[in-house]
Order: sequence, then C-alpha cells, then structure tokens
Amino acid sequence: MLGCIWQYVYTSYLRYWLKWLIRQATGTCELQRICSGYNPGATRTSKAEYSLQSSKNKVLRGALEASKDDLEKCVDQIMKEKNIKPEKDPQFRGRLHVCLLQITGYSSLFSSVEDLRKEVFSSECPQHEAMLLKLWGLLMPSVELESRITKQWGDIGFQGDDPKTDFRGMGLLGLTNLLFFSETYPEEARQVLSHANHPKLGYSYAIVGINLTEMAYSLLRSGALKPHFYNSVQSAPELRDFHLLYCYLAYEFDRFWVAEEPESIMLFNQYRERFHSIVKTRLQDPAVSLTLAPH
Amino acid sequence: MGLLTILKKMKHKEREMRLLMLGLDNAGKTTILKKFNGEDVSTISPTLGFNIKTLEHKGFKLNIWDVGGQKSLRSYWRNYFESTDGLVWVVDSADRLRLQDCGQELSSLLQEERLSGATLLVFANKQDLPGSLSKEAIKDALALDNIKTHHWCIIGCSAITGENLLAGVDWLLDDIAARIFTAD
Repeated sequence: MLGCIWQYVYTSYLRYWLKWLIRQATGTCELQRICSGYNPGATRTSKAEYSLQSSKNKVLRGALEASKDDLEKCVDQIMKEKNIKPEKDPQFRGRLHVCLLQITGYSSLFSSVEDLRKEVFSSECPQHEAMLLKLWGLLMPSVELESRITKQWGDIGFQGDDPKTDFRGMGLLGLTNLLFFSETYPEEARQVLSHANHPKLGYSYAIVGINLTEMAYSLLRSGALKPHFYNSVQSAPELRDFHLLYCYLAYEFDRFWVAEEPESIMLFNQYRERFHSIVKTRLQDPAVSLTLAPH
Repeated sequence: MGLLTILKKMKHKEREMRLLMLGLDNAGKTTILKKFNGEDVSTISPTLGFNIKTLEHKGFKLNIWDVGGQKSLRSYWRNYFESTDGLVWVVDSADRLRLQDCGQELSSLLQEERLSGATLLVFANKQDLPGSLSKEAIKDALALDNIKTHHWCIIGCSAITGENLLAGVDWLLDDIAARIFTAD
C-alpha cells in the first residue's frame, strides 16, 4: 500500500522535479544522460523507452508510435523541444535514433509475427505446399516422400498423415520457423531431429517445434524479449531476428531435454515449463543475447 | 451403514470429480478445456503429453485431464484411466475420413475395466465448420446406440464459439452426481 502511494507520488510529482533539478545542475536532459551514460543495448534503450513513456510532453511520447521513416524527424523535434544543441552533444542524434528504431521496431516486429501466425496453412496454396515439401527435403534428404498424405510425416514429428492440421494455432509462423531452422542451421537441425527420433528419449520434432514457436510468440507478445532484441540488433528487429530466436529455443530445448532424460514424452509439458522458466531467467539479465552457439 | 456408503459420503464432502478428455489428434480437446476455462483459444499448439486443469463449477471441484491424441500417444491413455468419473470423448465432426478410426478407439476404451464406472459424454465438436456432420450422423457413425455399459449422451458443440460446452458439462456433472453423490 505504502509502496503504491510512493510510486504514485514519485511518478506524478517527484520524478518531474528531480529531473528539473538535475537538468539545472548538469545542463543536460534525462534522454541525453541516458544516451551518454550507458553503452548501447538493453539498459540504454529500456531507460530511454521508460523516459519517453513517462514524459508529459506529447512530442516525446508520440515518438514511440512513429513509423520507421519518420523517426529522424522525431529525433529533430525532440532535440528542438528539449533545446539540445547538436554542437554540444554531437552523438545524441544517432544514439536516440537507434533507440527509437529498436523500440518502435519491437512493436512492428510483433505485428509482422502476428500476421504470419494468422495466415492459415492452405493445401490449395502452392507456396505453402512447396514450403512443406522443402522442409521434408531438408530434414530427410535421403528419403523420398511417397505421397503428400502419408504416415511418413510422423518421421519428422507431425501428428498425423497430413501436417496441415498441426499448424492450427501458430499458422504459417510455425512452418516458417521449422523451415528457417533447417535452412540456416542444417547440421544442427538434423542433429536435433536425430535426438528427437531416439527410441527412448525421443519426442515429436515438428510438434515440439510448433510448441516452441508458441513459446517464442508469447515471450514476444509479453515484451519479455525486449532486452534480447535491444542487445542483439542495433536497429529495428526484423522477422529474420525472430526466426533466429526460434532456432536458439529449438536447439537449447533439445540440449535441455537430452540432458534431463525425461521418463516419457507424456511429461513434455512439465519440462516445457521448466525450460520456459530457464529462458525467462536468462532474459532477466540486462546483457542477455540469446544466440544459437553450436556445442 | 456399509463401507461403500461411507466412501460415498467421504467423496460427497469433497465433491470432487475427475474427468478424462480423449479423442483423436486435432479433435479440439485442449480448445474445449481452455474455452471452458475462459482462456484465449486462438494460439493453441498440438498437445504433447497432457494438460490438467482444476476448476470449480456448480459447486464441484473438477480435475480435467486433457491427453494428447496423436497415434503414438494413445498407448499412454491407459495411465490416466484410474478413478475417472467422467469420460469426455471429443470428435472432429468435419473429419469424415477418420470417423471409423475414431469409432474404433472409442469402442476399445469402453471395454476398459477401469473406465467401466464412468459416464460418457461425446462432444461432436466443430459444428461451426461448414461441412461438419450433425450430431445424429456422428451418433450413427460411432454406433452409440449400441452402448449398454455406460450412461452416455452426445452433444453438438463448437469449442471456438463456446456453443453448448456448458450444456455438455452440466449434463455430465448431473449424471455423475446422481450416481456417486446420492448416498443414503
């Protein structure tokens, strides 16, 4: 209760006066101090994001909603508003621009991911079908697919004879992630598949992949991936960066599963939750960068 | 007062029920469970293993087990039979090709001794999809009229819209309650 009152008093009055005082003393505004006081990455960008969000100034808050092409203009407006002279702080413009690219890029990344997730896999779409067949070719290069509807799909861990139904919740996002992993890290993907096909410790490769896509998606949606992207991409993150994060999860989950030696596949959800907690703990680290590093 | 009556009374106090939800993969088991619990159903992935949810409904504590339906998991179903009060069999009413498979799996479940005391609710799911079979057609395809060993009922529903989920679960609870909680 006391904490709540303090929080309220601080954010609505004290913070404002404190900032004013420091500004008078140092001659720099809060954004300047953030951009020069911290190295590029999650700490700087998160602090800048918080500063802009809690600003009473419309120009500053508006920058968070601006589109990518307008960001340079936004930086100029902020500098004018805050009376920041480029001669005095020549680095500021570029630094704030990168922060804004990262902050607004995160939201646009979520929209692109959401669009891809909502795209339903359709057997009538030649492009979707080609992606599915390509996935088979990459994972099982020496085995011919007998027909489009076949039990063989089970060999790469789909549930039934037609993988189509497995993409229900994650749509094309699930398929794109699976395909991207095999294309970008062919060796690692086949290694993971061979673990998944282990007679005792095995799991359904594709289904687990779709479950991990869901994990990546919900981490992105909740904002938990911000520190990761702020550290790993010094610009606006793209879909490709999201697929790379999926590769990290697919590879790391496999290592986790193999090391834990679960009794049976029926315990998948418990292990999935434990792995989820591990990932969330890693994301608490301000220096976090979840990149697949082959072992 | 016999032992059975005492046991019934003890159970009555807890008013706890164990429901087991089974069916082929992609039937909509997890979606039904989540929709019934008021959760978002747009981002569900295929179930590996099982989900369990405990929720309160009509004064009962329901432990609902939702077990994955893909072929390789069906041999594990037996691990979840013990002390099941109600079996919820979920059917994808639009999946005509696997209706026979669906019927076979159900009839072998009904022969299981450990499920012999359970009430059977069949959800003819996905009634919102164009081309889905009616609950009467599903009833015939699964030969439900031949079931003499269990109390049963079939209800057409849609897990996506939530239509009839409540009606189905209410029927199931009433039937189970009438069997096990009417002591004395």
